[in-house]
Amino acid sequence: MTLDHLRLRVPLALAGWGAVAATALPGGSPPRWVPVVLFVCFGPGLALLLPQRGTLRPAARIEAVALAAPLSLSLAVTVSTGLFLVRGFSATAFLVTLAALTTVAAALPGLPLPAATRGAVGGGGR
Amino acid sequence: MQPRAPAMDLTEARTPPPTRPPPSRRPAPRFLRPQLLLSWLLLVAAVALWTYALPRVGFRAMGDYGLLDRFPAAFYAALALLTCGFLVALRRAGTAPWWPAAYCVTLLVALKAPPAVLYDSVRYPWASKHDAVVNQLLLSGELRPNGALSGNMSAYEQWPGFFTLTGGLVRAFGVDSAAAFLNWAPIALGLLLMPVLVLIYRTFTEDWRLVWTAVWIFQLANWVGQDYLSPQGFAYLLHLSVIAVVLRHFVRPGSAGRLRDRSFLDPASAAVPPPTGTRQRAVGVAVLAPLILAVNASHQLTPVMLCVSLFALTLTRRYRNYGLLAVAALIMLAWDLTMGRPLFLETLGTLRDSLGRLTQNSRAGYAGELTGPGPELAGQANVLMVLAVAALAGAALLLRRGLVRAALPLLLVSLAPVPLFVVNDYGGEMLFRVYLFGLPGAAFFAAAALVPAAGSPRGARRPVRRRARALTLHGALPLALLVLLAGFLPSYYGKEKMYYTPPAETALVTRAIDRAPHGALILATTGSFPQALHRYDQVGHWFFAEQELPENERMLADPARHLADGIPPGTDAYVILTRTQDIYAAGEGLLPPGGFATLRERLTASPLFATVEEHPYGIVLHYQPATEGDRP
Repeated sequence: MTLDHLRLRVPLALAGWGAVAATALPGGSPPRWVPVVLFVCFGPGLALLLPQRGTLRPAARIEAVALAAPLSLSLAVTVSTGLFLVRGFSATAFLVTLAALTTVAAALPGLPLPAATRGAVGGGGR
Repeated sequence: MQPRAPAMDLTEARTPPPTRPPPSRRPAPRFLRPQLLLSWLLLVAAVALWTYALPRVGFRAMGDYGLLDRFPAAFYAALALLTCGFLVALRRAGTAPWWPAAYCVTLLVALKAPPAVLYDSVRYPWASKHDAVVNQLLLSGELRPNGALSGNMSAYEQWPGFFTLTGGLVRAFGVDSAAAFLNWAPIALGLLLMPVLVLIYRTFTEDWRLVWTAVWIFQLANWVGQDYLSPQGFAYLLHLSVIAVVLRHFVRPGSAGRLRDRSFLDPASAAVPPPTGTRQRAVGVAVLAPLILAVNASHQLTPVMLCVSLFALTLTRRYRNYGLLAVAALIMLAWDLTMGRPLFLETLGTLRDSLGRLTQNSRAGYAGELTGPGPELAGQANVLMVLAVAALAGAALLLRRGLVRAALPLLLVSLAPVPLFVVNDYGGEMLFRVYLFGLPGAAFFAAAALVPAAGSPRGARRPVRRRARALTLHGALPLALLVLLAGFLPSYYGKEKMYYTPPAETALVTRAIDRAPHGALILATTGSFPQALHRYDQVGHWFFAEQELPENERMLADPARHLADGIPPGTDAYVILTRTQDIYAAGEGLLPPGGFATLRERLTASPLFATVEEHPYGIVLHYQPATEGDRP
């Protein structure tokens, strides 16, 4: 793992824990909700998509930007619904589960979507 | 995002190379060069005008035309400037796609942020229902999909994904309820949707001008109001993301055929994405599974749309992926038969009745006719907008057959939901949903009609064609964008009087429902008023005017008796009549002109109802059942 990879993976792995820490701030204040919303919307998705061998090609970068939010929010839906089903929902349980998933995802290789692995689809890749 | 080699404008392509400046003169800084200068100057001017206009929007005193006559001239000027700036930025879209991107983001904010910035209450009274569902979930801390709640409210716990997510955000933000951020949903969802649209459009064209024009048209044609804080708005984002991944990563080997031949395609077409093997597609299904699961957890109709779209894609050789379709269908079936079982079985039971009733299923909203200058104008604008986008898209289908050949999957995905009219009316909303699901493709083809291909060597030699292209690009495109902008505003803001509720009215409803004991019945003309579903797990509801106009006219002859006959014996019942209901019932044509005032007058005068609280913006009445001796 190169220094570049660590520069990408470490912030991704820590983003969720930063959001958990932000919940200690006063309710409704921007320093609290901004990191939370950014993490919930993008954190898990970027951790799943970004860590790839080498630099991402332009097509793969567009794809990572576009799919990060839908993937993150899908995971957030699954986690929050699961917590409600087992009657274990709380903001901390919700964010900690997502943060843990994100940390694990950041340590693993990125999702092997073809554009990411070979950069073949899209404008810049051709 | 690094753009590839530019798809150059014809006029640009013929421009002679710039002459070298004399060595004594220093070249102007890059941002002061004419085209770049115009790009950022127009953007800054539009933002400044919009910011100036916003505090001057008189939303508290809306008249017949909603916000249309409350927006100051500066607001309209800002939107016109944005359009001009976008057209300028479009000329350099090939080399600097960030400029049209910046304009598209600004347009989204300029069009949809005014209510979010200005309103001191929830926009769309029915959106507060979703707020109530989130509050209820957070209060109970569990899901009860089998609970028999009035007004089919159990459905929200059978497809709870969006609400549990919103609940998570409410708690994590540390705010009282989703109302704190509810009005920002159209902007948030729009921003998240934009890169997904770009991803889809880039799969079929290499021309950035076409991509951004399609995104621009999508914004203007997305007046349908399904992007508020709602499960459908959220599930739509996930649906399009699934479609984007499928279009880019599920091409079967050896299926492209003649589509690999550039001469067979439009110059703006992108080559078919490289094929993927069985293993890669299996990985793709695994990547998509959480998205498909989240669509199913969030909304009951979108998974059907998704399966129909995936089925339509299997009609092409390129995307014949039965495995993916089977996985999507199985996830849907598994959810419907477990969490969604009660409503799923109930819907199956009524399907036989609604099947094939095309005219009924394609009606918009409830039974009434739009009434009043604003709603009527909005209704006409809606129809004209649909026709305009459809006409432009239709023109592209005829004129750009090479592009259509390459983008056939997008066309199929857009047309796929149309047959759902045959199945069900989805509470009068099927028309809007079908329109929305068809919109990404419609916007793309509409843009294709307005942005001619840049570099067709055969066509470029013919002066007539060249002139026609220049005319389209410099005449039809600006005109169409301005016309669509002019159509968006009444479509989105023409009925705004129905959508804004003064906080005092919200407080009145909350007080009244808080006062009602457990098991009480809340009566109102329609459910379209703020906090209508407050404490919905503890009280029942009867929205008694949500029926055909003639029935309402009969009801108005003796409303007190009509309501008294419908209230189950021994039930504690409250009637809540508010200004927002009055505007909605009149605008949607549920009640005849003056009907609401008559209703209020007659109920107040009736001995069967005692006034609990009365204000100019609303009244609360308590049902006093007549004893046997009192009955006539």
